[in-house]
Order: sequence, then structure tokens, then C-alpha cells
Amino acid sequence: MAPKSSPARKARSRPRPSPRRRQKTGVARYYQLYSLLSNALNDGTIAPGTALPSEPELSNRHRLSRTTVRRALERLENENRIVRLRGSGTFARQAPAASKLCLNLHTYYKDLPSIAAQTSVSVLRFEPEVLPAGVRELQSRLGERAFVIQRLRKFHGTPYQLSTAYVPESVGRQMRRNSLGSTSIITVLDRIGPKTVSSDHTMSAVAADDIASRALGVALGAPLLRMRAVFSDSKGRIRAVYESLSRPDQLNVRAELERVRVRSAPRPWRLRPHETGSAKR
Amino acid sequence: MTARTNTRTGIARYQQVYTVLSQALATGNIAAGEALPSEPTLVRQYGVSRTTVRRALARLAAEGSIVRRRGSGTFAKSGLEKSGATRKVTRLLDDLRRVGSNTRSKLLAFERVSTPDFLLREWPEFGERALLIRRLRSIGDDPVVLATIYVPEDLAPLLSPRRLGVDTVLVALDKLGHRAVTADQQTNAVAADPFSAQHLQCPVGAALLNVRQLARDAKGHILDFTNFVYRPDCYELHVQIERGNGRRARVPR
Repeated sequence: MAPKSSPARKARSRPRPSPRRRQKTGVARYYQLYSLLSNALNDGTIAPGTALPSEPELSNRHRLSRTTVRRALERLENENRIVRLRGSGTFARQAPAASKLCLNLHTYYKDLPSIAAQTSVSVLRFEPEVLPAGVRELQSRLGERAFVIQRLRKFHGTPYQLSTAYVPESVGRQMRRNSLGSTSIITVLDRIGPKTVSSDHTMSAVAADDIASRALGVALGAPLLRMRAVFSDSKGRIRAVYESLSRPDQLNVRAELERVRVRSAPRPWRLRPHETGSAKR
Repeated sequence: MTARTNTRTGIARYQQVYTVLSQALATGNIAAGEALPSEPTLVRQYGVSRTTVRRALARLAAEGSIVRRRGSGTFAKSGLEKSGATRKVTRLLDDLRRVGSNTRSKLLAFERVSTPDFLLREWPEFGERALLIRRLRSIGDDPVVLATIYVPEDLAPLLSPRRLGVDTVLVALDKLGHRAVTADQQTNAVAADPFSAQHLQCPVGAALLNVRQLARDAKGHILDFTNFVYRPDCYELHVQIERGNGRRARVPR
């Protein structure tokens, strides 16, 4: 996070959206404009087909040189996210249909086979090892050593998810590397038994480290969605500890929620049971 | 094979290395007092020059995250990991106030606007005009979440900055008899743009957790759309999923 003397901290009391003052941040000025426009295109604030503000407008509003503005636009154009039409302006492109996978938490277990079927997988690691520091707190329930299964999942040939599963060594010994295929780890574990019946998921955002950056083809430090999960059987025994890092431009995580109908206030929220949930992606 | 640190990203290479190392320090992947990898190791690991590594380390040293001892190496300083008081693991749709009593809320905007196109396209029933509320929530001195909220025009007259107080919009509307019963959430990671970077006090380009949420009442009327941007070192989202017929799927209490 920002050091105490950074411009961000000084400017805290007076919001100043202009990126003008941030020069020694290690972030190019064109990138700052690029990131504003990119987020606006991603979340639809600038809708497909609509015009972006003109170059002079962007240059005035953000107090940036025309060259800097052009560099930001060029990058968006290279990424095929805008189209520049001579004489009429710059427009947001229509995002290609179904270019993004969607993971629905309210239909999580039901959807596992279909996600596996739509994607391809390469197994990067499949071996027993001593648990890493991040997983060690679960050691008493998982054992001293675990089988680590690291896989890279692709959608339409683009790598979108790097996942690492730790399973108890005795269970891992019953798996075969070449039988993993693109099958979800839960399905593989179910074949060995006992069945996984519940899971605890924690979502966060992380900067891509050297391993994730190489595997997923993104820049070092690029934002990734991290999902950690602990899968358990009906007796509460751990079946697997799992962590996935996903590219935000390739995967969306969605959840339909509803309020439980009880008299107590505040009424708790829960994931919508999938019989009543819509099948919409 | 080297990591894809390159200059074409608009983020300087030393900044990329700095980001990854500060994350490792903040999460305890490099524990307090532990030695960092040597400069030559970092050069190999990230595929960058020695100068770049030194610049990243100089920045970490300048902000007091690491200590460099001549002859013995570079060490993580203690007390960098977020204390339990700040770091929160919260469930879906939780009211942040419930996880800590010292949360503060700062109102950045409260104004009528034309409903943005992206809302109208997905939910035409939102209406032409909307109330825009933007606020920053902090726990102690740490900014945690920047929320941008749109409330449909018909509900807007019910709300005022005073009526809102420290409540979330959904809590405020609930007190006024408009209760949210369903919500649709999308979660992802985003890079901090200059606006969120400034308010959340993080570098531009830093990884942030983004939740976009639409809430409706029992009749299906839209109550609000909120775009949350969280600092991930302060906030994580927790969901428990039960298998079986799906009836038991729930968010933990």
C-alpha cells in the first residue's frame, strides 16, 4: 500500500481524480488514463457502440498531453476494445459473445461437470509434498504431507485459471496423473469416496506473482481473483484444500442470493436454492 | 523462462516487483524477521535487471517494510501483517458495521444523475434518473471499501444524507419499509484506477476486489445497484456451499 509520504495520502482530504500529480509512482501517466477507460469499458459505464470522449476532451479533463491520451487509446485499440473511425470518433466495441466463463456459486456443484466439459486442462504438478505455510493451519485435519495437484485450465485455448489442490496423501495415492483430464477435482475425489458434501469458499484479489504471471500469460502484479476453498465430507473430514487464481477478463463469479424467511431480525442471506434459481448465465 | 515483467504494461518493472513483494510481506508469505531472497535470486525469479530489483527494494526499505543489513541480507520487518482488528473475512452481503465497531463512513457524493447506460441496458426498469451515492468506509484509519450506489428515482426522495447516516443504503431502505429479499452479485478482481487508488490509498494498478450487486424487494422492484471496490488486504468474501438438493445452500451465520 501507499507509503506515508505518497501523493495519494496527501491528497486524501481533497479528492482529485486527475492523475496529473502522480509522476513518480512507477505507473505511466498514459496507464492511469488507460486504467480509468478500461474499467469503464469493462463494467459497461461506456457501453458497446457508444462514443468515447474526444481526444481534446480527455486531454482537458485529465490534464494530460494529447500524446499521452493517444497512447492510452492506442493500447485499448490494440486490445480490440475500441475502434477509431477517422473523422467520426472513437467507439467502444461489442464484447465478443460468450467470451467469458461464468461460475455460479448458487449452482456450484451442479455446474462442475459442464465447466469441466467446456475447458481443457494441463497438469503442472502431481506429487506429495510438505504443506506450504498458507495451508499449514489446516495441517491437523489434512496431515503433515499432502498430495499437491496443480493444474492450468484453458477456455477456448486461453489459460484462465491456475488451481492448486491439496488432498490427504492417502487419497492422492489412489489417483493417477493421466486420469485427471479436465475433470473437476471434486468429481475425481467422489470416485474415490467418501463424497464431498460442503465447502467453505473465500474470495479475494491478489497481484500475480512470478508463477501465476507465467502460467496465465499476464503481467507480474496484474490483478487476479483468488478463490480458496476447503471441501469436506459428511463427517466434516477434509477432502481437499483448494486455491485458484483466475484472470478477471476470462471468468466471472456470480451468486444469486435470497433472504431466509424467518421471523428473527436481521434475516440472514443465503445462496438461492438452485431449483428456483434462474438458469441464466 | 521468466515472468512477464515488461515495460509495455504502463507499469514500471520495479513497480511490478514492488507490488508482488509488498503483497508477500503483507500476507505473511514472507514472515516477519524472515530473510528475503537474495538480489541475484530475485533477478532470476522475475527476469528483471539488478537495478530494477534494487529500486523495488529501495522503495520497500524507504517505507519501512524491510531492513537491509550490510553483509547479512534483507529482512522483513515485523508488524506488517494486518492485525486481526483490521483484516476481516466477511460473508456475502454482510453489513461491514457488524464486523467492527470502529468503522467510519465518509459521504463523497449524493446527487441526482441520469441513469448510466450500463444499468439501463441490463435493467431498463431502472428508469431515466437515479440517485448516485458514493461513500468510503474505513475501519480505524484504514480505508476498506469504496461504494458507488445507484437508487432508482422513485425511492430517491426517501433518502437524505442525514437519514442515511452510517447505515448502508439497503439498511436505510429497510427501515423505511423497503426490504431487500433477493440480490444478484458478481465478484471479480480489478486494477485500481486513479480514483479508487486515491481513496483506498493504494498504488494505481493494485489488485482490488470488486463486487457488483443488484438488490430487489419481494415484488421484484429494484432497490439499488452497488459497485463495491474493496482493498483485499482488509476484506475477503466468504461463502459456504452445501451440496445435495441445493435446498441447504446457505451463507454461514
